[in-house]
Amino acid sequence: MEGLAPIDGWAIASIGAKAAGYGAALLAMGGPLFVLAFPSASADVRQLARKVAAIAALIGISVLALRFGIRAARISGMGLPGAVDPMMLGFVWDSPLGVAAIWRVAGGVLVVAVLIRGVVGLGAGLIGALLIAVSYTSVGHSLGDPRWLLALLLTVHLLAAAFWIGALAPLRHAAGQPAGAVLLHRFGNVASVMVALLVIVGLIFAWLMTGSLSALISTAYGWALLAKLGVVAGLMTLAAVNKWQLVPALASGEPTAAPRLRRSIQIEAVAVLLILIVTATLTSITTPPVNL
Amino acid sequence: MRQSVLAILALIVTATGAWAHSKAEETTPANETIVTSVEAIEMRFDDPMRVTAITLTGPIGDVSIERETGMDAVTEFRALPAAELPDGAYTVDWRGLSADGHPMQGTFVFTIAD
Repeated sequence: MEGLAPIDGWAIASIGAKAAGYGAALLAMGGPLFVLAFPSASADVRQLARKVAAIAALIGISVLALRFGIRAARISGMGLPGAVDPMMLGFVWDSPLGVAAIWRVAGGVLVVAVLIRGVVGLGAGLIGALLIAVSYTSVGHSLGDPRWLLALLLTVHLLAAAFWIGALAPLRHAAGQPAGAVLLHRFGNVASVMVALLVIVGLIFAWLMTGSLSALISTAYGWALLAKLGVVAGLMTLAAVNKWQLVPALASGEPTAAPRLRRSIQIEAVAVLLILIVTATLTSITTPPVNL
Repeated sequence: MRQSVLAILALIVTATGAWAHSKAEETTPANETIVTSVEAIEMRFDDPMRVTAITLTGPIGDVSIERETGMDAVTEFRALPAAELPDGAYTVDWRGLSADGHPMQGTFVFTIAD
């Protein structure tokens, strides 16, 4: 298999931290998007969205610090002492991750401001969400050519994913409320558009990275991508069942619908976690076929 | 419409990662070769690489080498053994940071024999 980097303990730690960073970033971006998209959701549901986003933003900043240490350790070849070596940390700071960190921390701080109710808080949160999304365009595979297109695709992909992932906790909460069915129905409608967008830009990005169908089965990148698409397909199926069966059942007052919907959303969250781990693996230890 | 579709297709077809992962394309001595002597350890990369760590391990353990290339990102890296290398099997292990920010590492081996 082509394009697989050596895997050691540090590489695995780096994948774990990166996946955690993705999760935190998506939740942080998703909260303000939820508050923007659903102004008529109940106050406690909106407050939950804000809280999850603010906590995720703070976790995201700490994970970023951890990732600096892990990266410094990896490039130093010295193990743990390398994680706090000022020279190695300086190299990481000078690398694209340093630039990304500035945008991401600024974005995270602005997302915390979403806790302030009203237009100011929401505006700050949305700018924060955009900064976090854009921070990902300054690192890794999106630095290839055509750069502006890859950066645009990635930004849209991240915001669309964040919209979905950030909505999971508020929706799970809303499923138990009297007005929940209306919100879940509205989410289903917006999500069908967002998810289509998410998949389309994801596929264009994947095509730009792989360049041929045969690369899907001859490279490590291709296999990781197929694994990701497999879990995504499962997640879509679950979401479709929710939209076309469970949400209508909830709306018609079926008593078992709410617990079933909550459980389904929990399973969706697990699928998302798997997707983040596969994505972190994809972007950490495999090389896109176009770069081989 | 057709023109813009063609333009996008052309863009997609010609898209190649100019940056991304620079890899050690060539080394001196070349990987898995037998040489009579070694003046310098060299690595060439297709994109600038900041080589952050390099070790040379010989038949009796770590061998000290002096970096001729500093810590800047380079496409040609060079280091010199501090003393003449005795016969035996050697391994070069390096770590680096590529232009797109990915941590990279690599290994190559060679044998010195008369």
